[in-house]
Amino acid sequence: MTTATSTAKASVASGLITAGVDVGASAVKIAVLRIGDDQDVSVLALRADRIRRRDLRSVIREGYALALEEATVAPEEVAYAASTGEGEMVDFRRGHFYGMTAHARGAIFLLPEVRAVVDVGALHARAMRIDERSRVLGYRMTSQCASGSGQFLENVARYLGVALEEVGPLSCRSAHPQQVSSICAVLAETDVINMVSRGITTADILKGIHLSMAGRFVKLLRATGAEGQVALTGGLAADVGLARALQEKVNEEGLAMEIHTHPRSIYAGALGAALWGGYRHRVLARRAGVPA
Amino acid sequence: MKPELEQLVHRAQQLYEDLDLAAVRTWKQAAPGRKAIGYMPIYVPRELMHAAGILPVGILGGGDRLEIIRGDAYFQSYICHIPRSTVELALSGRLDVLDGMLFPSIGDVIRNLSGMWTMLFPGRYVRYVDVPQNFDPKVGGAYWRRELETLQGDLTRLAGRAIKDDDLRHSIAIYNQNRQAIRELYQARSWQPWVYPTSELYLFLRAGNVLPPEEHTELLRQYLKLAPLEEDRKEKDHSRVVLVGMFCEQPPLGLLLTLERAGCWIVDDDLLLGMRWLTGEVEVEGDPLANLVTAFLEQSTATASRYQPEGDRGRALVESVQHNVAEGVIFCAPSFCDPALLDQPMLIAALDRESIQHTQFKYSEDTGQFAVIREQAGTFSDSIRLWSEA
Repeated sequence: MTTATSTAKASVASGLITAGVDVGASAVKIAVLRIGDDQDVSVLALRADRIRRRDLRSVIREGYALALEEATVAPEEVAYAASTGEGEMVDFRRGHFYGMTAHARGAIFLLPEVRAVVDVGALHARAMRIDERSRVLGYRMTSQCASGSGQFLENVARYLGVALEEVGPLSCRSAHPQQVSSICAVLAETDVINMVSRGITTADILKGIHLSMAGRFVKLLRATGAEGQVALTGGLAADVGLARALQEKVNEEGLAMEIHTHPRSIYAGALGAALWGGYRHRVLARRAGVPA
Repeated sequence: MKPELEQLVHRAQQLYEDLDLAAVRTWKQAAPGRKAIGYMPIYVPRELMHAAGILPVGILGGGDRLEIIRGDAYFQSYICHIPRSTVELALSGRLDVLDGMLFPSIGDVIRNLSGMWTMLFPGRYVRYVDVPQNFDPKVGGAYWRRELETLQGDLTRLAGRAIKDDDLRHSIAIYNQNRQAIRELYQARSWQPWVYPTSELYLFLRAGNVLPPEEHTELLRQYLKLAPLEEDRKEKDHSRVVLVGMFCEQPPLGLLLTLERAGCWIVDDDLLLGMRWLTGEVEVEGDPLANLVTAFLEQSTATASRYQPEGDRGRALVESVQHNVAEGVIFCAPSFCDPALLDQPMLIAALDRESIQHTQFKYSEDTGQFAVIREQAGTFSDSIRLWSEA
């Protein structure tokens, strides 16, 4: 199994160039890799673009072009461009991998010791139990409710006038986290408004929300039978406050789990898709009897 | 999409969406005295209707485009959806253009629907086409011959003209051409499913429910010619799957699209099986009724609504997987479809013996949410591609 290596712009002349495009509900993440014959992986480019209200296909195309430029790779050099997430929007893709498959692979690439993954995106969260090859052994997803999603956290941050990147550090400074509804995003938003009017600090509000979300994720993890090392991936993996809250909830429930994030965790889907793309390229080349 | 193909797809889509059977009305109005007879899915001898100058019209319920207001009142909650929407279509007057209905033996529900039809619409021609389940020429063959003769007599009276042997031979030849075009399309799709996506192929196949066979064959030929000219239809790294279980109540188009979007190339299926019931050509020369009987006895496809000795259907499914170089099977059956669901364990056992991967889910013709199916089919496709060689 390959592991993460440092970003190296075309430092290895030979090898397979693959790309992974993870189209999420609020951002497009792109990874460009060079996979050597010895399976050593160089990350040539990583890119995340917020979709906002732009045309999604344009965001994908422009982001892909810029990622290839950063990797100093021409489009025709890419042996396999893989999509994950809303893959049909990636019209240049050769193959598509499902979110769980891609995130599991990306998580093992970044953190080889993990055996479970919590992928928190803008609209959904899911927990997976995986094996050392990144095969998904069991999973659970959140229901339609938005209160366990990144979009909900983003909305609250906006109400509080806090930039997204400040949410995690602020939450970590909380001394008296305030409990919010863990059931319904609408009720939780009402809770937040009440807290603001009661003069609760922003840090305590955010920590309360993180704990509420963490409580839901712990239930998902428990339902999959996960234990041991757990990776946090997806758009909210960069939120140190959420990671800390998740660890606290795990400890509180006496579960034998350690929560990990990686600086590249938000790219886990794109990395996983690119890695699987490399695998599939070699399989297809072998079947066709041509060199990979 | 190039304009010529776009127009063709648009026409097929319009025919698919038209629950009022406007194409049938137009066909009837084109000449005085024309008649049309509806038939439910699975095999009916369309050649006999064609030879009588009658347009056979495939009725496949209302799909996901019809609100069921009255149809539900006639069925228990544990009955499949197609009879509800078919009753709804009839009670709302949409099937008034039809001069009769044939109900082939698919399952208990469709058989009972023929009785309900007789009670609901007295005076209209209704017949339960009880196809033989014994394939011995002296038993099932003799029985089927008598059934066909009875049907021929009924159609003669309805059409007001005799069905001559030469008329029937001509109709058999016309349907042979139609079956040949469908076989070519299925073969082409099996080779290049990215050129002939099933969500599109299905529309063209389905047009044959309301078009005269000559026109339908021409439509299929045009599609076969135009689809490969689309430059953006490129091969993708999808898994190749066979779909099984959809021979009667049809899945919504969105489900087929979902499967393709989830990374599955459908390379064989049992959609609209009535059109492909006979796996080869019917002999044109000689006694045409005898030829229809022989074709039914010897060339009927393997499916749940037909009796076959234990193991035969499983073998047929495995052969389909092998012939179409498929990597897995998706059992995609309507909820409460006894024939399809009761067969599944036997088919699964046959696949397991050959280590062929499979997954299963259920649908209703009006299913509107595909998130779970997409997740399941996508994960199945990933599993085939990433773990089958592990």
